[in-house]
Amino acid sequence: MNDTQLADAVKSGLTEACDSLSTVHMAVPASKIMASVDRARRHRRVGTLAGTAGLAAAAVAVGVALPASHPAASHPAASHPANGTNARLAAWTVTRQADGTIEVSFFRQLRDPAALQAALRADGLPASVTFIGQQNSACQPYPSPQHPGVIRRVLTHGGFTGNPLARVVPPFHIPILIYPAALPSGAGLQIAVMRGIPPGPAGPWPHPKGHNLVTEMSLVKASPQCTGS
Amino acid sequence: MEKDRREFEAFYTAARDHCLRVVLISVGDRHLADDLVAEAFTRAWASWRKVRGHPAPHAWVVRTALNLHVSWWRRRRREVALASLDEAVDASQPPGLDSSLVAALRRLPARQREVIVLRLLLDLDTATTAQTLGMPSGTVASHLHRGLAALRREIPALDYQEQII
Repeated sequence: MNDTQLADAVKSGLTEACDSLSTVHMAVPASKIMASVDRARRHRRVGTLAGTAGLAAAAVAVGVALPASHPAASHPAASHPANGTNARLAAWTVTRQADGTIEVSFFRQLRDPAALQAALRADGLPASVTFIGQQNSACQPYPSPQHPGVIRRVLTHGGFTGNPLARVVPPFHIPILIYPAALPSGAGLQIAVMRGIPPGPAGPWPHPKGHNLVTEMSLVKASPQCTGS
Repeated sequence: MEKDRREFEAFYTAARDHCLRVVLISVGDRHLADDLVAEAFTRAWASWRKVRGHPAPHAWVVRTALNLHVSWWRRRRREVALASLDEAVDASQPPGLDSSLVAALRRLPARQREVIVLRLLLDLDTATTAQTLGMPSGTVASHLHRGLAALRREIPALDYQEQII
């Protein structure tokens, strides 16, 4: 059998395997896929307008963009000093929506996980936020027989619904949505963020110039030592 | 902008199931495939004006999903595996993912697997495959040749055109 015949046989076999998955459908609606990107675009537009208007700090600009946000969102954390030239100085914002959803957006590399942790806890989310590899040793995995279904209900990142261990690679500017009401009793959320910008595989990344923020999220047992409550 | 939305929605509706099945063949985990494809489509929408001009936007999505899988896997290797969770996922896999050919495909190096998926499963020509993967056409041909040779070694029945699924 030459290469062409072999390719035909492989193609036939793979096509048959693919056809056998006819009951497999993508359940996420287009609106959900587009929503997080649209939201991020709105945030960026507001930031640009704020810069044009000569506002000195991103806190003001993002505060305008994020109504119904708690104090940490109205004054998004600047995890490094302002340089006075960029309209968006915050590394991240946390916004609590009217329906209780918590929206976390990253704009720069996270340098102060403790501040993000405090903002999430202030919004009532039992949370532990650290850099990857420095997770709080007091945190224990949440023993959920429903895993991975539970984590998929607790958080989404755009259309990215969260794999069993919810390792996500959100591009900057695209928010992660957390639904505290979906947390099982006694559970909290552990967020670990990679320190420094990873090189990433070669690929057509949209934001910004190939930079992504690697985060890992998992359910842990809520406790004062781990998640603050 | 409204035109962009309509175009993307139409593209998503038409391509999502096929992209999901192709990625599922490649990664073998339904939940992971769901996430990878959803994330890839999210990125496609974020870069829609570029993606819609691509000769094969669905291949862009599949390639992006497979790249995400590579980075997910690299991180996963460094971490403690939670075996019980993995078992829970495996139990929910749809039929059709356990053929010897599909298993052999997943054992191929990432680039060979991507070339075989794009060239044979998505039926792209060499030039479009090369553009999608960002490599010269000759490299595509080389990866295809090596990938097919590896499959031939793993599944001798291919040479006899026996039932392989």
